[in-house]
Parts: sequence; C-alpha cells; structure tokens
Amino acid sequence: MSLPDTSFPAGKDYRSSHTGHGAGLADTVFENGRIYTVNPAQEWAEAVAVKDGVFVAVGSREEMQPYIDQHTQIVDLKGRFIMPGLYDMHTHPDLTLAPGYAGYLDVGLEDPTPAQVKQSILDYAAANPKSEWIFGQYFVHFHFKREGIEADRHWLDSFISDRPVAIHDRSWGCILVNSKALELAGIDANTPDPRNGFIERDGITGEPTGILVDGAYSLIHAAMPPTPAHALQRAYREGIHYQTSRGVVGTKYVHVCENRLDALKVVDDAGDMTLRVEAAISWQDDIFPVRRRWELLAGERHYYRSARLNANAVKFHFDGTHGSYSSYLSTPWPGQSEWRGGLNLTPEHIVDMVVDMDRRGIRVIAHCVGDGASDLFLDAVAEARKRNGPNGVRHQCAHSTVLLDENLPRFKALNVVAEFSPVGWLPEPYARAREVMGEERFDRMYNFKGVLDHGGLAVMGTDWPVSTINCWVGFEAMMTRKNPWFDNDETFHGEAISVADAIRVMTINGAHCMGIEDSAGSIEVGKSADFIALDRNLFELELQGNVHNTQVDLTMMAGQVVWDRNGELSGTPLQAPLNPDNVPNFYDK
Amino acid sequence: MAAVPVTIVSGFLGAGKTTLLNRILNSVPSDKGKGLKVAVMVNDFGELNIDSQLVVSAEQNMISLENGCICCTVESDLIAQLRKLLQLREGRPDAILIETSGVSEPSKVVNTLRYPEFDNHLTVDAVISVLDADQFTNLEGSNKRLAMDQLSVADVVVINKVDLVSAEQLQNLKDNWLFPNACVYETSYGELPLALLLGQQAHHSAQSEHEHHHCDERCQHQHQHHEFYSMSWQSEQPLKIQALKAFFHSLPASIYRAKGFVRLSGAEQQMFLLHKVGSRLSIDRQLNWQGELKNQLVFIAGEPFDKKQLLADLEACVA
Repeated sequence: MSLPDTSFPAGKDYRSSHTGHGAGLADTVFENGRIYTVNPAQEWAEAVAVKDGVFVAVGSREEMQPYIDQHTQIVDLKGRFIMPGLYDMHTHPDLTLAPGYAGYLDVGLEDPTPAQVKQSILDYAAANPKSEWIFGQYFVHFHFKREGIEADRHWLDSFISDRPVAIHDRSWGCILVNSKALELAGIDANTPDPRNGFIERDGITGEPTGILVDGAYSLIHAAMPPTPAHALQRAYREGIHYQTSRGVVGTKYVHVCENRLDALKVVDDAGDMTLRVEAAISWQDDIFPVRRRWELLAGERHYYRSARLNANAVKFHFDGTHGSYSSYLSTPWPGQSEWRGGLNLTPEHIVDMVVDMDRRGIRVIAHCVGDGASDLFLDAVAEARKRNGPNGVRHQCAHSTVLLDENLPRFKALNVVAEFSPVGWLPEPYARAREVMGEERFDRMYNFKGVLDHGGLAVMGTDWPVSTINCWVGFEAMMTRKNPWFDNDETFHGEAISVADAIRVMTINGAHCMGIEDSAGSIEVGKSADFIALDRNLFELELQGNVHNTQVDLTMMAGQVVWDRNGELSGTPLQAPLNPDNVPNFYDK
Repeated sequence: MAAVPVTIVSGFLGAGKTTLLNRILNSVPSDKGKGLKVAVMVNDFGELNIDSQLVVSAEQNMISLENGCICCTVESDLIAQLRKLLQLREGRPDAILIETSGVSEPSKVVNTLRYPEFDNHLTVDAVISVLDADQFTNLEGSNKRLAMDQLSVADVVVINKVDLVSAEQLQNLKDNWLFPNACVYETSYGELPLALLLGQQAHHSAQSEHEHHHCDERCQHQHQHHEFYSMSWQSEQPLKIQALKAFFHSLPASIYRAKGFVRLSGAEQQMFLLHKVGSRLSIDRQLNWQGELKNQLVFIAGEPFDKKQLLADLEACVA
C-alpha cells in the first residue's frame, strides 16, 4: 500500500552513517572560477564538486570529471573570484529592527499637541483592545508647557487609567507613564533610582510623577510583555537575509532570551535560515529580561538546536564603553587618580561563572572593552582550564578594543578568540571619540595584528546597530585603517593586516570561533560547501575605497545557492531563494 | 561638602551666549580668593575670548584663570568632565556653568545632572535659554525641535538683541514661543545680572549685604554693583503648601530667585529645601535634618519691589 503524496509535509532528508545519502555522483560542479580556498595545502583551484551539501572535489576542471554523472548540474563561475563564506561573529538584528516592527503606538505627527497625543492614545486603545499595554512615541514637552499642562501621570490618568500607558518624549530623554504602568512595574516612592537614570519624584511626598529618565525606562520594559514574536521573527529573517546577500554564512546573535530563540526557531523551521547562527543567551537582564535563563542553560537550549542554529553560548556585559568612560582599564583613566572604569560583576562572579559554563560546554562571550576587563576575563578562563582541564570550550573576548601586550600570547595559550569590531577602524569622528583612553594606549588599540602574530585567533563582528551590518566595511578597514570614502592617507590606530590574513579572519577564523573549523570555513574536500562569488578579485585591487563596496554575486551555503544577485541561476533547478528583489538593503554606501 | 550648583545656558549660535560667558569669567571678582570660583564648560575654547594675561595654567582641555575660575571643554563626555571637576584636589569650583552648544539638547544635560551618582554633589541651579529675537522668526526642522527643547526646560528665557527687532516681531515671538508664567528677561547686549545666572553669587552677596546693611526699596546703594535687590524672611510656624505654591505662582516676574528652607503643615518635624528660579519652583524634603525647625527664605529681584506686601502675603501662608 502506498500513501497519497499529499498526506505528509515536505520531509527532511537528514544524513547519518547509513542513511540520507543522495544517489549518484556530485549534485553540482562549479567550474571556471578563481577559487581562493583558504586551505594552505591547496591555495587555489578552478572548480569544485558538491554532493549532499559537502565538497567532494576541489581542483582543476579535469579533476571534476569523475564526479559528474547525468544528474550533475554544471555551473559556470565565469572566471570570478571565489572564496569561503564570511563570518560575522557579533551582531544584533533583533535589537536594531524589532522595535520598529512591533506595532507600537505612533502618534505620527511631527509636533503633536497634548490633545492630539491624548486622542492618539485613545484611538490606539480602542483599536487594540487585547494588548494591555499602550506603548509608543511620542509627546513634546514644549507643547505641554505652552498649554500650561503638567506632563505627568495625573494627566494620563485623567483619560486612561485602566490600562498601562508609556509614551516617549520626542527627544527620547524620558518616558511618561500613567499610574497603572507604575503599579504594574512596581515603581513607588520606595523604588531606588537605577544607576544611569532616575525616577522623577514629587519633592514633598517622594511619589513618582510618571516621568522616567534614561535608565529608568528599563523598569517599564521589564514589566511590559516581550517584543512581539512577529516583530522578532521579521527582524531576524531580514537580518539573516541581508547578511546572506553580503556573503555571510556564519554569524552570532549575541544576546538572546527564550522569546528570541523561539523566533529564530520559527525562521529555521521555515527553511529561511540561510546561514548558521550561534545565539548567546544573555547572562544579565540589562537589555531585556531573560525569564527562562536557567532552564535554557540547564538544557532547554538544545530544543532549538539544528544544523543551522545553536544556543550553546552566553553573553555578559563585563565593563562599559569608552564613550561613557566606563570601560575598565588596567590603570586609571587619563587625568584620574583612581577611576579605572566600571565592572558590572565582580571578578569572583566571573571566575565562578566561566568555570561553571565551561564545564557545561557553553561558550562564554565576554564584553571586554578595556584592557583591565579582558585581563580579568583571561584570568577567569585560566582558572577554568585549571579546574576543568585544557580542552574545554573556546571562549570569546568581545570587542577587545584595547589589550595589554602581556595578554597577546594568552589568547592562543588559553584558547580564547579575540573578537574585534573593525567597522569603526577608520579615521572619522565617531571612532576618534574612542581616543579618550589616552595616548599611551593608542598603540595598543585594535591590536588585531598583535593577536595574530602571537598565534591567536582573531575574528570580526559588525555589532549592528553600533556600526553597520555590512561586514565589508570592516573587512576593508582591517586591511587599510583608512577611510574608504576620503581620498587621503590619514590612517587610524593599529597596524593593518595583509589581504591573506584578513581573508582568514573573515572565514576560517570565524569557523573556529563557532567551533566548526573541521567542517566549514575553507574550501576543502569534506567540508560544508559554502562559498561566495565576488564581482572583484581582492588580490588585484587598490584596497582603500574598493573593498567595502564589494558585491557578492552568489552565496552558497551547505551546497545550496541561497543568494543570486544577478539572477544567473533563475529558472534552473539551482534557483536561489534570495535576490535583490526580496532582500532589504540596510546599507548601500 | 555642599552640592555644587550648576547653571545651564542654552541657545543657538549667535544668540549671545559667548558675551554672557565672557562677562562671567571676567567679572566674577577674585576678591583675594574670597570670590566665587566658577567653572565654565564649553564645547570649544574658541567660543570664549580668554584674556591670556589672566591664564595661570592651561592643560589640554582645562584652563585656570587668575581669579580662580576654570574653563574647560566638554569634548565627548559631560559626565566624565563633571567627575573630573568634582575631584579636583584644589580649586574645586563653587559653581559650574555649562554652555550647551547650538546643536545639543539641554534637556539631556539637565537629565544627566539629576542622575543618582550626582546626588549631593551637583544640583541644577538654573536653566537659562538665550534667544536671539531676530533668529527666532524663521525656525524649521531640527532647529525648531531644538528650540522647543531649549524652551521646555528653561527656567528663565532671555530674549537678547531686542533692539534689533520691532515691537511687533517681539510680540510675535512671545505669542508663538513662550509659555504661560515664563520668566522672561529682555536685553540688548546679553547684559544679565550675575545674580540671575548664578545662585551662589546672588545668595553669597545677599548674605554679606545682610550683615552690613539692610536694603529697602528706597536704598539704591551698590545697585550698580550688584544689580539686584534682596529681602530675607524668617518665621517659626509651618506653612500651608497650597498657599505657599500659590504665593510663588503670583510673585512678580522681577523676583527671579528665592531660596531657603521651609516647614510644611502636615510634616512639621521635617524641613524642605525651597528653590525658585524664574518659572521653576522646587520643594524637596531634606533627609536627616539636623538644624533648627524654622522657615528661612531669601528673595532676589532685579528691580525694587513692595516688601510690605510680600511679607503680608507670606504671613498669610502660615498654617
């Protein structure tokens, strides 16, 4: 008896020792390429053969012949430069995009009056009877003053008191909430102010007025329902697809909670995850609350695991930023007698945590901007290696903006990846703002080369929205330290690295950072068939101004062409799901 | 150590802030170290005309003057620069004046000063918005937004260069931009009484005057010097909060400052710090008050005022 075809959804043909292997020889052969493999044993090739998503042959066109049978598709690479896919080891599409997709209240006027804000809130409340919270933007303090109305909870309460309301000020310096919102968030006269903001209070009674400034928003966010699933799914889907269009085949979404993992799983299950994602569970609640942190860390994270997705990492914020003088340095900040910056957690906490996570096989990704923070983090990893043995998980030192010279050899010795954000490594005002650490530290800033010269693994992250998600800008900057858009020779701190080194950083080093270096990251027989076809040869161009705008013509991920910029495979069995018509372009500079 | 009062001066380029700041730096009397040491924070030293004869030392972003005043640039980070000023071993300023450039939002500066880390170290003394009467007629886009931000946090609105506009233009500006109860000060060349800008200056001088000579409305002595009139009031009895607020609400605009401590009925065992600058009145409960329980207020005005009436109105607030 046979079942009708329509009874079952599309099946998945998983591979194991004895099952899941397709019939015949190679599924595809790509020929006529200038293929830079990042395999030192065979640097260049002209053709590859792929079967079941894996390279089965890499070499000359003739060497492909034995792999070709009647079902093999043959694709002409047209002499283009081919290299392994890229790895962006630190970015945040959810934080960048999801709030805009959440369907929150938007008054939609440039200069709303109090009456217009009120009407907009009432309209939103009527149109959204099921969503308890009314959250959005914005009101304008000026117009309240003009009309002699105090922008406080009493004003909101006067027309809506049964549902929590929170609305941002236009300049985003504060948020106005009603009494119901304060009640649900547990904010009253006794609530202490957060560190980086405050609860405005009546001077006489100490009761909150309904205005919450800067860091005090988080008290409201913690009480609100999480970002809606549809917004997170859209944010991840669009972020993934944009990255794919830029040639990224592996990425890390550094900071997730159970809701974000749910969203990623929806994208993955739908077959829309066109690259590999390592998601790092937030150790702290400083960005959003993680309600199931310990369930996830104890093992619930495995529920999300697939060939494309894993959550075997945690991310924590150890120190602050240079912009706010809070990154933790090895010696006091310039002009200060004592202030070395701030640490959010004690060194002892970090040691116990790293040892614990390491034992569980969970990668620790530590936000370490200052050279004091990374020193403490490396100490913690050293302790983990001592207690758990030397072969534990490869941990990740995020940002690594300034490092102590003494720590350069420790990245290799302790098997820790140094992650940098080279997108900002060019002479421009934003980057210059980070020079506040003082001249004596300049030479030790962005020391990609120092880590590499000491045998360590260095990788890059775009850290969107801190900088652009287009990893090619950083790819160029690490090789030039010059501004791609200025026609001058001004260089930024730190030493540039060679094209070959930069390509390793962007490819195989990323695979190491994800723990998949044996199965991906270079074009070698037995590895996942990932590659990108470019519109230019990186070894044959003037680097400044000509790498950041590289166009990726094809992205192949695990044997499937997932991005086809020019539609060259459309109408063939290899037609790619993504093309410029269905991928948002978040950056086209 | 007492919290250092901070005055914020906002306004567009060309509004006349530089003139104001220079007057402060040059006219705060050094008085053999007894004068006020004012730290002026600007975005760029180029905004000031610092007399090189007065400079005693200059670092990358901090210049010390002979009269004890300090000028510094804010560069990228206000918080760090404030911390630095507060931690100075010597010459910690008595008052800080922050000039917000024509492009930054003064509301953010005001918010930052109120962060818990500055509790007991810094206090917002006054927020002054300087407008060029002529510039304000055509504002659009981000400049319009910024102007709204400046005015919405302003305790005192200074309309400068009034000599350059017609009465009609001036009236239009007021009709379109000012809010009810705004405390407005009109001037032609950025001539503001220091006592309006700096509370320390006002109360310091009012106090020393109090010791030597009691001013009344007929007394013109030192008027040219101090440019203000003051009156102090003391009483034992607690005050009714609503009556007190109404009293301050109806004060003539010329009384631009008042400061002191009050007792309030319903909370007789506590003391409250009262601070009025222009249109802002704040009354804040004092924790762990050690002193006497009595009302003590000082009023400062730019022109003579009816003291008898004021005293009578105050007495009417007694519970």
